Amino acid sequence: MISALRKIALLTGKDLRIEARSRQTLGLVIVLGVLIIVVLGLGLGMQGKDAGYGATAVLWVAYVFGGVLCFEKTMAVERQDGALAALLAAPVDRGIIFAGKLLSNLVLIFALAAVVTPAAIVLFDFDLSAAPGSFAVVTGLSMLGFASVGTLFAAATSSSRLQGGLLAMLVFPICLPVVIASTWMLVGIFRDGKALGGEGLGVLVAFDAVYLVASWLAFERLLEP
Amino acid sequence: MLTRSRQLWILYGAALAGTTAAATLMMLFYAQVDAEMGPIQKIFYVHLPFAINAFLACLLAFVGGIGYIWQRRMIWDDLSSAAAKVAALMCTVVLITGMIWGRYAWGKWWDWSPRLTFSLLLWLLYVVYLVLRPSIESRQRRAMVCAVYAVAAFLDVPLVYLSTKLMPKDIHPAPITLATVDMKLTLAMWFVPVTLLMGGLVVALMRSSRLARRRADAANADSAWSLSEGEPIRQ
Repeated sequence: MISALRKIALLTGKDLRIEARSRQTLGLVIVLGVLIIVVLGLGLGMQGKDAGYGATAVLWVAYVFGGVLCFEKTMAVERQDGALAALLAAPVDRGIIFAGKLLSNLVLIFALAAVVTPAAIVLFDFDLSAAPGSFAVVTGLSMLGFASVGTLFAAATSSSRLQGGLLAMLVFPICLPVVIASTWMLVGIFRDGKALGGEGLGVLVAFDAVYLVASWLAFERLLEP
Repeated sequence: MLTRSRQLWILYGAALAGTTAAATLMMLFYAQVDAEMGPIQKIFYVHLPFAINAFLACLLAFVGGIGYIWQRRMIWDDLSSAAAKVAALMCTVVLITGMIWGRYAWGKWWDWSPRLTFSLLLWLLYVVYLVLRPSIESRQRRAMVCAVYAVAAFLDVPLVYLSTKLMPKDIHPAPITLATVDMKLTLAMWFVPVTLLMGGLVVALMRSSRLARRRADAANADSAWSLSEGEPIRQ
């Protein structure tokens, strides 16, 4: 167990070190996220009296587009210089590779959220102070499910023979339940003053459980040099 | 002299045409007009069997996906692919009949109600499958990626349903109730041709995939023969 955790930490550390040195992915997704917020703000903010609550949906648009770019980039790194073949030849279980990639992706998405969320709060006049804990729990749980599906399909589509944009097309419809659940839960919390819990939280936990297990099991079948 | 397979297909075609004609006649002339919704309610006799068969097709695609991941045999990929295509077709019919029904029942083609959103997301899941297949060249890779997607899409169905329940209340005025025996019989009758259609399409598409694969294998073998100047390469 300790050995597995150490290997996961090593793989995640490797990905994050590459990102810290190249600074390619995070810069790109943060700028993209802010652009999405601004463009949607121009479209919705001018006419929407309910814009504060619209911010929850707008944030998800930024998260999913930025997230898909993160998934693509973290797998694309492995395609360079035959790194993936070397990784697969290493005495590491593929479930551990999945966990390492998932953690790297989660760190990148949380970093994206850390910049994009304040931008939405300001531009949409969204009062996060009403329930910051609930926002963090709902968003965090949703991102876990989203990232596990994204990590799985990034392994499937990372082959250079596949068309670009395929990953977004695969991940979006599969992840729509979590976007719907998360958005309506946040609207319930911030607009209607509902407490966190109940059916919505159950859906998010079910989504995470189903997709973590299914992605972990399927990942090794999809990963090939 | 007809082959056994051809005889079966002719029998199948006759059964499909006969039951469709009978179900249509029952819908038009036997089932009474709903007192509350009027004649538009009759679209329900088509809508529900297609919806149930769409779920069955999704289930078959899932079974094919699991089978391929488990055994790596192309017959499972054929099943999964055929069933996913049929699921997309059935979901399209469900979506269109639902929208027509909604237009006359509530005065608008679309509303973001849980049931309509669920139908739309289900349709999207399987339409993406159709786009995914031709995007991958390698046969084995395509079969594996599509199998995983078919499994993920099917696991997604209950989650889509649960998540849409969190949305604001449905605009459906009331659940459709089939009050009389003639209405129940007409609905039951419609299940026969629609289920026959679903099963027949899955079998036909599976056969078509198998034939296409054999043709591709034969073409590859021919090109391997000519490249090696008469020395065939063992497949």
